[in-house]
Amino acid sequence: MLKTEHYDLMRTAADMKIGEKAIIEDIDNSHPSSHRLMEIGFTPGQEIVMLNKTVFNDPISFSIRGTIIAIRKNEAVSIII
Amino acid sequence: MQQRITKNKVPLIAIAGQPNSGKTTLFNHLSGKKFKTVNYPGSTVEYSISKILTKFSINANILDSPGIISLIPSSPDEELSVNTLYAHPDYGKPDIVVVTVDSSQISRHLYLVRQLINSRFNVIIVLTMLDLLHKKGYDISESKLSEILKCDVIKINSKSGEGIDELLSSVNRNIHNLENENGSVEVVKNPPEDKENLLKSYSEIGHIEADVIFPMKETPQLKEPDIQKINESLVVLNNPRLFQKPDEFTLKLDKIVLHKFWGLIIFFLTMLIMFTSIFYVAAPLMDLVNEAFSFLSDSADSILGDTWYGNLISQGAISGVGSVLVFLPQILILFLILGLLEDSGFLARGAMLIDKPLSKIGLNGKSFVPMLSGFACAIPAIMASRTITNKRERFLTIFIIPLMSCSARLPVYAILIAFLIPQDKAFTGGLILTVIYIFSIASSVIIASVINKFSDVFLRSNDNSSFILELPAYRMPKIKRAVTNMFSNAKQYIFKAGPVILYLSLIIWILTYLPNYNPVVDGTGKSEQEIVSLKNSERIATSYASHLGNLIEPVMKPIGMDWRVGVSLIATFAAREVFVSSLTLIFKVTDTGEDIQNSLLSAMRNATFENTEVKIFTTATTAGLIVFFIFALQCLSTVAISRKETGSWRIPVLQIVVFTSIAYILAFVTVNGLRFFGIN
Repeated sequence: MLKTEHYDLMRTAADMKIGEKAIIEDIDNSHPSSHRLMEIGFTPGQEIVMLNKTVFNDPISFSIRGTIIAIRKNEAVSIII
Repeated sequence: MQQRITKNKVPLIAIAGQPNSGKTTLFNHLSGKKFKTVNYPGSTVEYSISKILTKFSINANILDSPGIISLIPSSPDEELSVNTLYAHPDYGKPDIVVVTVDSSQISRHLYLVRQLINSRFNVIIVLTMLDLLHKKGYDISESKLSEILKCDVIKINSKSGEGIDELLSSVNRNIHNLENENGSVEVVKNPPEDKENLLKSYSEIGHIEADVIFPMKETPQLKEPDIQKINESLVVLNNPRLFQKPDEFTLKLDKIVLHKFWGLIIFFLTMLIMFTSIFYVAAPLMDLVNEAFSFLSDSADSILGDTWYGNLISQGAISGVGSVLVFLPQILILFLILGLLEDSGFLARGAMLIDKPLSKIGLNGKSFVPMLSGFACAIPAIMASRTITNKRERFLTIFIIPLMSCSARLPVYAILIAFLIPQDKAFTGGLILTVIYIFSIASSVIIASVINKFSDVFLRSNDNSSFILELPAYRMPKIKRAVTNMFSNAKQYIFKAGPVILYLSLIIWILTYLPNYNPVVDGTGKSEQEIVSLKNSERIATSYASHLGNLIEPVMKPIGMDWRVGVSLIATFAAREVFVSSLTLIFKVTDTGEDIQNSLLSAMRNATFENTEVKIFTTATTAGLIVFFIFALQCLSTVAISRKETGSWRIPVLQIVVFTSIAYILAFVTVNGLRFFGIN
């Protein structure tokens, strides 16, 4: 498994463009929301599609496992793609 | 937690499931009660319990619970639901857990199902939202799912009732099995899961999903069943994620509703329409209520005459209650619109849209729905803030909810605004009301950011701020459901506020009528009407209320008010709307034959400080009163619920002190500022 310090160099769900598809590579365990994110279905290997940003660019909505989930940017950075 | 069904115990069936999985619709169907289905994740804060309808001939209790994502809770709301599922304080462990699963997103929903099965609950799975799955061109095999998970699986359409019979026979079978079982099954709590276990669960669920979901046959006659099955599994293997696409219509509509420009326009237009209809659509209905109560009051007067009991009935009871029920149409409209917005899926988008600005002042997008409900009533609003996982944000939301202009303030504003402007200018009135609303929202923003700055002192909590919210598929809101829901909300509200208003009206009547109930006045050369009017003012001037008022007069003087307004203000600490009925009682010295509102207005216009010609109600003092009502926390029920939800007296006491002092200081500034500029 990857180490936390390497995550800075990686692309995360927060970097995705509208309409972009990606496969989740890993979830940063050190993020306080990581457990809940995994529980609601953001798991490694899962495909996500970035759908919308609000006018303030935050939160961001993703298509995942048949539904749409909105999360904050600072939570999306824990989703490594 | 040991449990065994005996003949004397009525079995308990709990309905569990993720938010938006159709729990409440199923509950309504089985219980026959018309509760609402919530579209906003997690807003079933309170439980509904009921007997299964007799027509289904099963003797069992049925419990609806708030939506949960996992049996390992992450908010107070979830913790409550999870604990209640393991052992309800009154009903114990549920004998059967019926878990609703959205078929269009089963992988996410099976996660909870697995936890329930691991906890050794007696699980029956109900598959809902099949229409959404079918729209994607897929179907699900309940028999396979049942085989894999070793529990009953039933497809249901709660609205049409399809599948309910099957569910009932499954429930019956399960109850029967439990009755015959000798050893009882013990429920175990799920231990906190580490990442590895969690991912293992999900990968197993992934396999299950691939096994049970299959594409719908377009032309079933043309293919041999076996070849078709092979083809289907090939399609699934090749496109394992096609059925994981969200609802097409929702994706398209979100492009507009969450659009950077149009999204904002739609959001503000929705809010604008909502608030303007509260004022304009309600107006004719309010006149109707007003006239009905004047008629009742006049009839009581003419039947009972000018006696103490006649007065008690017509003024104490009927006018008191009537002056408050006048704003019932506004509450109804607010509940109706909130219900429709919730049902359609719009509120979750509103929460997402407003999360960023709210997070700047220490709140959360999830504060949006509680704050919006605060415009109806602070009590359900404070309870709804349980869905906010972060304690600091939850406390801050609870803290500022009393600043949202609740519907109880509407009759107060209505009468004060009516006093300020001529009646033919309804538009100006609406404008002033809008200004009041905007002003109170702006004040709450300022107060929230100040409190947030000193959150160490005020809120004493600082945990991880998070916003994770499912945006449910858009659905056409059901008018019928919204209407029934509106009436049940309004009914609860009336039964809660009604008695308080009635008792207080009677108490104020007693305070203003006694002890000198039949004063001696010099009636020489005066008409009968003038004598009645003289008697009335003499009676009030020597009443208990007057004695009480003299004590608080020094506090009232600086904001341009006399003891009579002071007594009314004290009465409002029980409930704000009492202000109007109390003014009606204290000031309505003559019955001019107009309706309640107009005779109160003319009484206010004529009211002077005792033994002087100085008018009490002027533009300056009336504006001061409005400002006072914007801030003051005059509602004991709000204080009580704030205490309950925050678990200590610190927040409610702070609320009373902060809001009431701001109210008093700003009222003082308003009155004297206006006077300084020559506006009296």
